[in-house]
Amino acid sequence: MIGSIQLHKLERFITNDSHFLATLISCTLIFTIYVNLSAIQSFAIGIIAFVLYFMINAIFLAQAFFEKEDAFSSLMFGALLLIMLLGFVGLLVMIIHNLDVPMFTMVLLTTTTISSLSNRRMKNKSDTH
Amino acid sequence: MTLTNQTSKLLRISELLYLLSTAFSFYLLIASRTGEAHTVWQVLHPAFSSTLFIATFLLLTIIFTAEKTTHKLLFIIAHSILIHSLFSIIFPAGDLSGQQMAIGRTRLVFDNAVLHGWTGWRPTMPVSTFVFEMFKGINLQAALSTIFARMFNVDILYVHLFLVPVMWGAFIPVASFLTTKTLGVSENASILSSLLVSVFPYATYFGAISVPNSLGFIFFFYSLYFMLRHLSTNDSKTTYCMVIFSVFSFLSHYLTGIMSFSLLFLTLAFKTYEGEKKPSSINTRILLVVSFVVCLSLLPLSFIYLRFFQSASNAVFTLDKFHELPLREIVGLFFLGELVYGFDLKTILLVIAGPMLALLWMICQLYRLKRNPDDKSRIRIYFLFTAFLITLVDYRILKLFMSGLPINEERLWVFSDFIAAPFVAVAIFAVLSSFKTFLKSKSPSTMAFAGLKPLSKGDVFRVLSLLLAINVLIPVLLSGWITLSLSAAYPRVAPLQTTWYELEAVRNIEDNTPERYVVIGDIWTTYAGEVVVGISNPRAYYFTELSKIGHELFANMTQDPSSKSMLQAMNMTGTDTTVAYFIITEPRVGTVEYNRVIQQAQQNGLPTYPGGIYYYKGEEKLRIFYYKKSTD
Repeated sequence: MIGSIQLHKLERFITNDSHFLATLISCTLIFTIYVNLSAIQSFAIGIIAFVLYFMINAIFLAQAFFEKEDAFSSLMFGALLLIMLLGFVGLLVMIIHNLDVPMFTMVLLTTTTISSLSNRRMKNKSDTH
Repeated sequence: MTLTNQTSKLLRISELLYLLSTAFSFYLLIASRTGEAHTVWQVLHPAFSSTLFIATFLLLTIIFTAEKTTHKLLFIIAHSILIHSLFSIIFPAGDLSGQQMAIGRTRLVFDNAVLHGWTGWRPTMPVSTFVFEMFKGINLQAALSTIFARMFNVDILYVHLFLVPVMWGAFIPVASFLTTKTLGVSENASILSSLLVSVFPYATYFGAISVPNSLGFIFFFYSLYFMLRHLSTNDSKTTYCMVIFSVFSFLSHYLTGIMSFSLLFLTLAFKTYEGEKKPSSINTRILLVVSFVVCLSLLPLSFIYLRFFQSASNAVFTLDKFHELPLREIVGLFFLGELVYGFDLKTILLVIAGPMLALLWMICQLYRLKRNPDDKSRIRIYFLFTAFLITLVDYRILKLFMSGLPINEERLWVFSDFIAAPFVAVAIFAVLSSFKTFLKSKSPSTMAFAGLKPLSKGDVFRVLSLLLAINVLIPVLLSGWITLSLSAAYPRVAPLQTTWYELEAVRNIEDNTPERYVVIGDIWTTYAGEVVVGISNPRAYYFTELSKIGHELFANMTQDPSSKSMLQAMNMTGTDTTVAYFIITEPRVGTVEYNRVIQQAQQNGLPTYPGGIYYYKGEEKLRIFYYKKSTD
């Protein structure tokens, strides 16, 4: 029960994204992934950063496009949409040039920007209603 | 629904036991990991099937309780990932061929060895083909795998091997659950369908290999779900999702893409039909039939037009099979497809049982809907039945009336499996519900309430039999069905998979050669090379799987292993290659031929590469020869 409440709080914190805090955390994680790839090369850091990055952006997208669904379905849709977005942006970047480390970082940044803006747009819409 | 304390305790114990048996099954898979095998069945731990059976049985008992839907789905996801991971965990480089061809291209992107993705570009290539190749599924998969591998900071091989099993395991059960829910059935029936996707062998096989087509199947299933939703709502988000998932299905693989778009047009036709004021009028019915025929013909026609984009495509409509094959074989192909060729009865039954049960239940539903035209899920059942018919008819068209197709027609089974899964679950659940209704009508409290006589001995026996059937027999049968389906899903006959020593040989060359090099080897060496350095990598060159030059060079080397063919190979790479390697593997060519080639190579003065002899279980299995171009 307590776990469920904590999760709900976390979800609200991310979807509210007040002062772009969740977006900033996501950007910090991208920086961490970049540093890890370029210098540290740790699998553990990669996993932690991936899980957090994935959770924040999946919740952004879930809130933006599937807010009316139940929590689990919404999160699953958000995760799938995030994978699709990462794949699509990655595909475009790869076709334009390639997917080396700097370009890969650009893919993550673009995806975060799109997810965060979609979340904010939907939030503003629902606030107006 | 609330659970009493005792039931809750029992449920937690079953959940714990389920988690333990699933974890143990994963452990058994890891313990079965091998360096040399043809099929998973050769090396699979003998306890795996029974552990999986127990895990599935426990899962089924959890599904039929009042546990939270989310928890049940999470348990099913774990189960689904388990049964789709056999290739990836047991074999060192996953399943042979398609999956390794995909890693061959993905590796080039990951290692920044090519620009603009894998297009197989050559100066004579038409622009349309170039654009088609750029947006082909292999590039989407390469982008996805590369992104995940960089995020985790691991080698691309591990991400590639587990990309589809994990995505399939996580998203397909949820898609099946949601699709079944749109039919207006109970939550438990929907949950059951998410587990029963695993009883379809073709679907299980495609969920176990990381190829673009498998990714396409995932997006196809979600597009199907949003199509069903679109039939009953005018929500713009649903429409967008339906289109977006269809586009992604197309980006992943044209087969799934064309199928998604066929069904999307069918959805629009059904929606128009439903929106008409007089849906029973002849015009609207004709429109629906015409739409059905158009949607049906999209897939076969698309193969004909594919030649404008893909030069390797030679698909044509033909009646050749009717002239060439005996009538018995034609009839067999019509009903069973490739299953007529040497598959045992058990496999045939396991493949057709699900779709047959679904078809029968669909027909029952259609009969019921005739008497109940106001049923809310009417249009969705009609739609799914029509979609199922399209997959069945298209399969027969491709199988009997076309030749030169660039893909195996058996892949169409997966579409019908996805549509069939919800109906199989609903049918089984309906049987269970009727048992339960009978039990309730015979329960002591009902009897007391209705003021009826106590049960006779015969009734008591019947009630006890039903109780046994519901709580034990049906879960046992379903667990057995799922476990047995694995034996039909994973092949029992296959060539020797990429071995540990082939991979080690390729890695050894890669780690210790600073110059540009080329490797002459058989197709199996090419597959191993694809896993480690990619295909046609300008720095570490392996000829493509279908390269005639590559095959000829290998044949020449086995006939007369000398530096002549190696020099020839260096000149074929198109780059400044200075070292050539020749790999010969004993299990691929046979002991006699292997010994002869080695002896002849030594007579010709071809040096063995230092550390280039590989042993497995005490026997020599592979040897590398090399030749370095003189730079003087």
